[in-house]
Amino acid sequence: MTAFEGLWLIPALPLAGALVLAAGRRLPRRAVAAIGVGSVGTSAVIAALVAWQFIASPPAGHAVSQVLWSWLTVAGFAPQIALYLDALSLVMVLVVTVVGLLIHFYSAAFMARQGTPPGDGYRRFFACMNLFVASMLILVLADNLLLLYLGWEGVGLCSYLLIGFWYKDPANGQAAMKAFIVTRVGDAALAVGLFVLFANLHTLHIQNLLREAAEQWTPGSAIAVAAAALLLGGAVGKSAQLPLQTWLPDAMAGPTPVSALIHAATMVTAGVYLIARTHVLFELAPPVQSLVAVIGALTLLTAGCSALVQRDIKRVLAYSTISQVGYMFLALGVGAWSAAIFHLVTHAFFKSLLFLAAGVVIARLREEHDLLKMGGLRRAMPVVFWTFLVGALGLASMPPATAGFSKEAILSAVWNSGAGAPWLFAAGLAGVFITSLYTFRMVFLAFFGEAHGTPDGETDPVMALPLVVLALACLCGGLLHWPEALGGHGWLGGFLSSTFGTEVQAGPVGTERILGAVSEAATFLGLAAAGLLYARRRACLPGLVRSPVGVLLHRLWSSGWGFDEIYAACLVRPFVSLARFNRNDGVDLVYQALARANRWFHLLLSLTQTGRVRGVATGMTVGAILILLILVFQ
Amino acid sequence: MRPDDLAALSPLLILAGAAVAVLLAAAVFRSHRLAVALTLAGLAAAFASLSIAWPHAPRPVTTLLAIDHFALFYMGLILAAAFTVVLFSHDYLATTCLPTEGVGQTSGPRREEYYVLMLLAVVGSAVLVASVHFASFFLGLELLSVSLYALVAYRREGRLGIEAGVKYLILGGAASAFLLFGMALVYAALGSLDFSGLARGFARGDGEGLLPLAGIGLMVVGIGFKLSLVPFHGWAPDVYQGAPAPVTAFVATVSKGAVFALLLRFFSMLQPPRHGALATVVALVAVASMFAGNWLALLQTNVKRLLAYSSIAHMGYLLVALLASGPWAPTAVTGYLTAYIVTILGAFGVVSVLSTRSRDADGVEDYRGLAWRRPWLAGVFTAMLLSLAGIPLTVGFIGKFYVLAAGVNSDLWLLVVMLAVNSAIGLFYYLRLIAVLYRPPSEAAAGAVASLSLPLGSAALLTLTLALIILGVYPAPLITAIQACLP
Amino acid sequence: MPEQTSALWPLGLYCLAVVAITTVILGISHVLGERHSEKGTAIPYESGMTPTGSAQLRFSADFYLVAMFFVIFDLESIFVFAWAVAARDVGWSGYTELFVFVGILLAALAYLWRSGALTWGTGGQAHAPRPGKEIEP
Repeated sequence: MTAFEGLWLIPALPLAGALVLAAGRRLPRRAVAAIGVGSVGTSAVIAALVAWQFIASPPAGHAVSQVLWSWLTVAGFAPQIALYLDALSLVMVLVVTVVGLLIHFYSAAFMARQGTPPGDGYRRFFACMNLFVASMLILVLADNLLLLYLGWEGVGLCSYLLIGFWYKDPANGQAAMKAFIVTRVGDAALAVGLFVLFANLHTLHIQNLLREAAEQWTPGSAIAVAAAALLLGGAVGKSAQLPLQTWLPDAMAGPTPVSALIHAATMVTAGVYLIARTHVLFELAPPVQSLVAVIGALTLLTAGCSALVQRDIKRVLAYSTISQVGYMFLALGVGAWSAAIFHLVTHAFFKSLLFLAAGVVIARLREEHDLLKMGGLRRAMPVVFWTFLVGALGLASMPPATAGFSKEAILSAVWNSGAGAPWLFAAGLAGVFITSLYTFRMVFLAFFGEAHGTPDGETDPVMALPLVVLALACLCGGLLHWPEALGGHGWLGGFLSSTFGTEVQAGPVGTERILGAVSEAATFLGLAAAGLLYARRRACLPGLVRSPVGVLLHRLWSSGWGFDEIYAACLVRPFVSLARFNRNDGVDLVYQALARANRWFHLLLSLTQTGRVRGVATGMTVGAILILLILVFQ
Repeated sequence: MRPDDLAALSPLLILAGAAVAVLLAAAVFRSHRLAVALTLAGLAAAFASLSIAWPHAPRPVTTLLAIDHFALFYMGLILAAAFTVVLFSHDYLATTCLPTEGVGQTSGPRREEYYVLMLLAVVGSAVLVASVHFASFFLGLELLSVSLYALVAYRREGRLGIEAGVKYLILGGAASAFLLFGMALVYAALGSLDFSGLARGFARGDGEGLLPLAGIGLMVVGIGFKLSLVPFHGWAPDVYQGAPAPVTAFVATVSKGAVFALLLRFFSMLQPPRHGALATVVALVAVASMFAGNWLALLQTNVKRLLAYSSIAHMGYLLVALLASGPWAPTAVTGYLTAYIVTILGAFGVVSVLSTRSRDADGVEDYRGLAWRRPWLAGVFTAMLLSLAGIPLTVGFIGKFYVLAAGVNSDLWLLVVMLAVNSAIGLFYYLRLIAVLYRPPSEAAAGAVASLSLPLGSAALLTLTLALIILGVYPAPLITAIQACLP
Repeated sequence: MPEQTSALWPLGLYCLAVVAITTVILGISHVLGERHSEKGTAIPYESGMTPTGSAQLRFSADFYLVAMFFVIFDLESIFVFAWAVAARDVGWSGYTELFVFVGILLAALAYLWRSGALTWGTGGQAHAPRPGKEIEP
């Protein structure tokens, strides 16, 4: 049990790193980088040791829990500060620490190149990044929902701090605020969900709670549906799914490594993790679980379409993340828990790779984000090109990047699941085509064609190393769960079965092969279409765009289906006008009256504060008489 | 007196001895450092002697005192708090009470007497928490009060100090008279001065008559004065403002803590009926204190007065826990008091550290932009204010949570709702102060307060902040210790 | 407690009577009283010598100080008498307690002497110690 003893160190080290960095005002840059990267690196090493021991000699019940201390013990409410490690949280911990380490490593050079903002931004950056990783680790390792909620809020806080990192530009601050407020809607739902769960099951300990729920609640009962729906609300907010997806494209305002961390390892995966962690509740609430699948399918299509027309390379990647997390939700919705986690892992590899590579491109092109102004970078930056290509292949689920197997696993699970499956499958398949199209659009526009200006300098080897490592991970990621249709045995699914139990069964091998072939066909079709439309810039593209339907779609998609406008029109503007209309009356008056009453009482009581001894003595005497009267006459 | 009695009494004896020792040292050789060292050594020795007394507890020592685990726990709390106050006092007096030029040895600044007085006040507090008899109760209270009268007026160059001292003296004397008269009435009715005798009397039903009820009512006046409960709170803002910052810290923590401990013992021994007239009175006082304290603090611009009003409200919260019955009530009171002592010490510590020779840093302007000038200090002050407001992960939250839990457990819904409403009102002025800390500094403020930063006070502040956060995140040891010490 | 409250009515009546009589006496003398305003009406000694200077004189603090020392030490000597009466009954432990008591008194005296409070004149006057210190258990 030796390695498990050190479990608490995994979140504690980045937390300590964040504290040291926040406090150490006079640390030199080198030390800042060493602490920032070192703390995450050490916890990655510990995570690897823990994983090794977990796999080599699985603990009893395939789970370890480490109780650190009890926070409070009052009248039956005793939330513990305790960690819980099972197959699911182990996978999450590995993803967060390893991908987080690579991103930190990259940032050490990346942030030094960026003219860091006023003050000691370098230190602030690493302090926030460490806190971000620590919060996410607390979230995935928490053994009760209260501690999970602490991590959940910590992740939200750090995303706010990092998206608004360059705070001198008000637009960045607004993007940060948007991320914070939109996810807050989901957080509120989650908090209410926790209250509902505690009120009904009298515990927040996740495992006990799931056991109790399974015993006490009948499937489809109203309370189960309500609890699951509230948790889903939280997950939708954090994971940027319909209808709370609008914050993620704007979150590009932060430095590129932050985007990589938010999209790959920490923030958006939290919602997926929450649903997977409480999957029992969702199984008890079939309508909500179907809703998860529908949300996933809709999100993956809408976000994919939006990604098609974006010109900012980071916005393409952002919409792509929303779309890919949509796949994970789709998988969760049909009960393919381990497929969702498999996709989460591979997505972490290729999306962080794409972001980091894009960061190099943007930096070497002097902060150029526009895809149409790039081109021909293939020769100028070969390392970035090849690694970006591997990431793109992974995203489009195309060989030789085996990372794409995860999407096929999801599609096959959707096909094999119950009712509504054909529609969901069709949506997923269309998504594969769209994914492939926008991915290769990005590749063709940025790296092929004519060059528009030459990039600056060389790619820093410190930044190139994580790219190469991640590219290797993309190439080999699929080995984790080599599909049975290709003669593998699906190791990850088997490993996670200790957490998820039985899942959607794979169909016969023949069907699986056909499904795989169909999906590959869709992705190659996307590649062909992209080649046709973008590689040579044929005349058909302008024609397509200028047709009336094309114009409409372009406008709709490039604004992300106009969700921001819809929200502005349906929620923000009515709210603002209501507030304006209400300025002098109605609800506001109540609060103003409260404030005024308090102020009035303050002024009234202040009259007694004359500082005269006789006044005070009179008060005492009157008080004494009143007390005597009450005592005597009651 | 047996040796066992002496062992049980050793903390008190050591404290009294330390007071005489500091007095003699001042007579022979005037040195601020020597006085501080002797005082700290005395407090530390008394703290250490708690472990000598521990095996002998619970043990009645004469009819006046009972050295039990409850008393020893509170003595520990008082000694620790006093130790911290002395650390602040050293820095404070070293800066503000400087030798005047060209005058002979006999008329230099008298810093040493401060420590004699403080040790005597600590003895009084320690007697209070151990007393089970009206005589020791009154003796302890007077020893505490008389020392405080002088301490409050210790800085004689300003008008405010003297004014505060005289006000405290006159009103305190009046309150003591109420208290004594109350005791006399109770004695006349029940024929007993010790608490166990009174408890027997109450159990027999002798406490129902007019005489004992009136007596207890008058005692409520005296105790309410010491705790600055409405309507006996009038002295608090003036005394808090006029007294030197470390003395204010002492008044707010040690003095109130000791009196509240006595009240808790009195209540738990006498077991007055929970729904009788007395409970009504206490509930009314609690509600009035909460509202008056918070409302008066709302727009207050003097930090020391603001903390005074806030402490009135906090004493009201504590009464809610006192009224609650059930197993949680004593834990809640003690937990809340501990949290309150740690937090208030820290808050006044910041005020003390920021004070200059000419005046205490008590204007809101002194704190404007503190985060830019002294980020550490601003961080500490923020933590203290958040703890006073009861924000989670600070010890203040733990205290408030226990008080609320105790209230809910005894179905004191009205009081609990009042407490929640008042926490919301209180949040306003704590946050207002925090906002001031982080505003850009004004040029005038940046130059005006060039304050001291001496090692003792800084170390004490750091310790307090650590305690605040550690106990807020990991309160289990504290709660276990409290529950082990309570009867 | 109806029987107790009913027993209270004589007290209430008494209070009312006190207030009524005081009001009547003051009221009558106000109405009937003779008023005059002559040249010397407002001075303290209407037909005596004319006062000079302010009534708020400063007395030397030394008088108070010495008086206070006397009172404090005199009071404390009462404890010694009390012990002397019961010296045989309280035995050696009583003797030890008194010994400690007198020791503390001596310490206080030493402090007073050293800090110049016993010196008559300007030396001890400016910073005379406060009397609160002598109250010891």
